[in-house]
Amino acid sequence: MSEAWRYFLLFFGASVVANILLIRFIALCPFFGVSTSLDTSLGMSISVIFVMTMATSVSWIAWNYVLKPLGVGEFLYIPSFILIIASLVQFVEMVIKKTSPPLYRAMGIYLPLITTNCAVLAAATESVKPGFFTKLNIAYHYAFPEALVYTVGVAVGFSLVLILFAAMRERLELAPVPKFFRGVPIAFITAALFSLAFMGFAGMFNL
Amino acid sequence: MEERERTLWGELTKGFITTNPLLVLMVGLCSSLAISTRVENCIFMGLAVIFVLTCSNVIISLIRNFIPDQVRIPIYIVVIASFVTIVDLTLKTIPAVYERLGVWIPLIVVNCIILARAEGYASSARVSHALMDGLGIGMGYTSVLLIMSVFRELFGTGKIVLFDKTASDLHIKAVPTILIMFPGAFVTYALLSALLQWYQARKKPGVEEEGP
Repeated sequence: MSEAWRYFLLFFGASVVANILLIRFIALCPFFGVSTSLDTSLGMSISVIFVMTMATSVSWIAWNYVLKPLGVGEFLYIPSFILIIASLVQFVEMVIKKTSPPLYRAMGIYLPLITTNCAVLAAATESVKPGFFTKLNIAYHYAFPEALVYTVGVAVGFSLVLILFAAMRERLELAPVPKFFRGVPIAFITAALFSLAFMGFAGMFNL
Repeated sequence: MEERERTLWGELTKGFITTNPLLVLMVGLCSSLAISTRVENCIFMGLAVIFVLTCSNVIISLIRNFIPDQVRIPIYIVVIASFVTIVDLTLKTIPAVYERLGVWIPLIVVNCIILARAEGYASSARVSHALMDGLGIGMGYTSVLLIMSVFRELFGTGKIVLFDKTASDLHIKAVPTILIMFPGAFVTYALLSALLQWYQARKKPGVEEEGP
């Protein structure tokens, strides 16, 4: 298996086959929260790709050079990763505010939300403990480039579904929906159909 | 929420309907949809969330006057993460349960319910209120979790298994397995949410329904 093909599979698996929103049920709150319009979804997607990549890079370094050598990884990984993410988000927010006001206007309001986006913690944990979320117990260790490709895959999968779903929800506004199903319930029914479609990908790869 | 006299009893009971974390505030969805395939999971998950939520609410309410505003989120997160680690290590002593819930325990840290209550309530409330709020919201979360899991396990697998004993059996062969799979979770939530909208519309006749 060539190197490029392996990276492609890793990316495809992370983004589509094991889609973080529809197959793994992670990060649903921002999903339903911001998907009411296409603009906010785009802003959120860009911010998530950006923060997630940075968070995984820092967490990977922290795990491999600090936590693991000291032997405290097993019980300190939750506090240290989430602290990394929370401070990173606040740091990024300050830097963007100072250096690029237009970017801050586009991304600013989504950044605090990302701290509680479980997808960021999930991707960071998964990149140092592969199989943690799929319970496969793989004794495999991602090298740094693999961890990066994996994280970008997760983030792109998140963005893909978020944007598709937002487009769908904008159309639903005009659709004749039974009275008590208007708003949130119909959005969940739509998500169920989306999820059904994505389950097909898992069958494609025989997972 | 409108400003009114805050009573301890009111703080405790509001979590069930008026500010139900799952159905009204729409926070903490991920874990609830993922684990509500079995009633047993939900009991442990509910207890874990009640514990973490109550403890973190109380601690944050105690130290609310000493937290600098700029770094408040990392501080809340550290408080929450410590309690989550306690739960994580405690549940490891019950391997069967930990195996099924494993992933979701560390993810309680980023469960938006807890951070939302810390930021939106405990940081400006008295300790006694924060305690009741934590208990109430936690129980509201657990009750929705139980309703969803009973529905999904009973109709998705045909029976409910509690602690290795069959608690209830429908004796049917062809069950809609889709209910315990991913789409079933969304559909179950949608039905509950529609039920709540119907209930609220009935309670206040004449008020036109508005999307959230």
